[in-house]
Amino acid sequence: MELEFVDIRVERDYFLIQGAGIFAPGIHLVSGRVGSGKTTLAMIAAGLKTPDSGRVKRHGIGSVMLSMQFPEQHLTGSTLESEIASWHLQPCPVLALAGLPGREKDDPFSLSRGELKRLHLACILSRRFDLLILDEPFSALDCREKMATADRIGSIRAGITLIFTHENQHLPRVDYLWEIRESALEFLGSVPDALVGWKNKPSVLADLHKRGVYPKNLSTADILEAACRTHD
Amino acid sequence: MIDIADLRFRDLAIPRLHIPPGHTAVVGPNGSGKTTFLRLIAGLLTPISGTITVDGREIGEIETGFVNEFPDRNILFYRVRDEIAAPLRFRGISCNKTLEMVDAIVSRAGQAHLAPRLLKQLSGGEKTLVALLTAVISSPRILILDEFDSHLDQESISLSMDIIACSGAEYVIQCTQNMELAASCDQVLFLSEKGLELAGTPEEVFSRLRRTCFYPILWRIRDGT
Repeated sequence: MELEFVDIRVERDYFLIQGAGIFAPGIHLVSGRVGSGKTTLAMIAAGLKTPDSGRVKRHGIGSVMLSMQFPEQHLTGSTLESEIASWHLQPCPVLALAGLPGREKDDPFSLSRGELKRLHLACILSRRFDLLILDEPFSALDCREKMATADRIGSIRAGITLIFTHENQHLPRVDYLWEIRESALEFLGSVPDALVGWKNKPSVLADLHKRGVYPKNLSTADILEAACRTHD
Repeated sequence: MIDIADLRFRDLAIPRLHIPPGHTAVVGPNGSGKTTFLRLIAGLLTPISGTITVDGREIGEIETGFVNEFPDRNILFYRVRDEIAAPLRFRGISCNKTLEMVDAIVSRAGQAHLAPRLLKQLSGGEKTLVALLTAVISSPRILILDEFDSHLDQESISLSMDIIACSGAEYVIQCTQNMELAASCDQVLFLSEKGLELAGTPEEVFSRLRRTCFYPILWRIRDGT
């Protein structure tokens, strides 16, 4: 199973993103600055947008899911119960996972943005997809939920997971790292080796690297373990 | 000083709180009432009971800038330049003066490239930066920011902090999930499902949150804990 970007390019008046590469099974983190084209690439990977040139090849990929940055854009149900049912899931376990037990009849728009994101992620992560694309999955979550979500994403063992994010505090363990630099998607390699060449790395990672400390991966546990490590 | 007394709105109850001038971070779990609190201070919600005053004046009498947590809900116009100009145009400031001020603020913020673009073409983070520039262009005395930084990368957050510092706002009240950012503010308020639990300097508030994930990771590394 693999997803391949074959010399894709999208150009508008003031915007350009281009890239090539193969996404193998595993968890890929794609980082980039605001407006660098993360969402555009996520849409292209999901097949919801066509590049101006180049093409996307999918080998052995059946099911595809895109989690959009703004959870309200996914809503179809007028209650939490009907929203969850629209994902072909049972309300009770999903509400429990989202930390919203007993709120079956509530209007999704009565939730805070963080609660809505929790509900949406609980629906997405309760199912399995060959290709799962997560656009800013940590946005709006509090630290407890960021860590829980990072753990859930990091425990996905099957298929290809692409995480497009600028999150810099709580991240999952990932297998591969990509970065958008000057309008181009670049493959930095496998983690942990790729962490060294990460240009816009999270401040906490930059702080550790300055001190010659190199975490094995990106989870909060990995960061804290490295910070407290007393041996190589 | 922003003075809150006997405030009640739905589940949120704050018997008494004084917010001094400066940059105040509002932190806490999802669903703890942070957005409600900000909207009450902005005058976008009316409390069931209690008062919010600024140096003795009603909150609605004070010029206030507000950035919504949903980037699309900030938008009124089609083009970025028109969006940023809106607060000045609503005040009847001349077209020439308005355009001059818009060009000045986008240039100062290094975002001149965004000015001619259509808002629908922008990323979530870019829309958020536009919303911030729109909120500060009329030099509000109070600036309220609802988790806008969750749409921004580190460099954009630094840029936003510069924009905020140059805005001249006397009170900046910012809800955030970025504890490193909160730790750099003058005051921190911690809301939980129980209401307002903690208020004070970052050191005072975070020292009480040491056993939680709300304690800044950089501080945890600094402390060796």
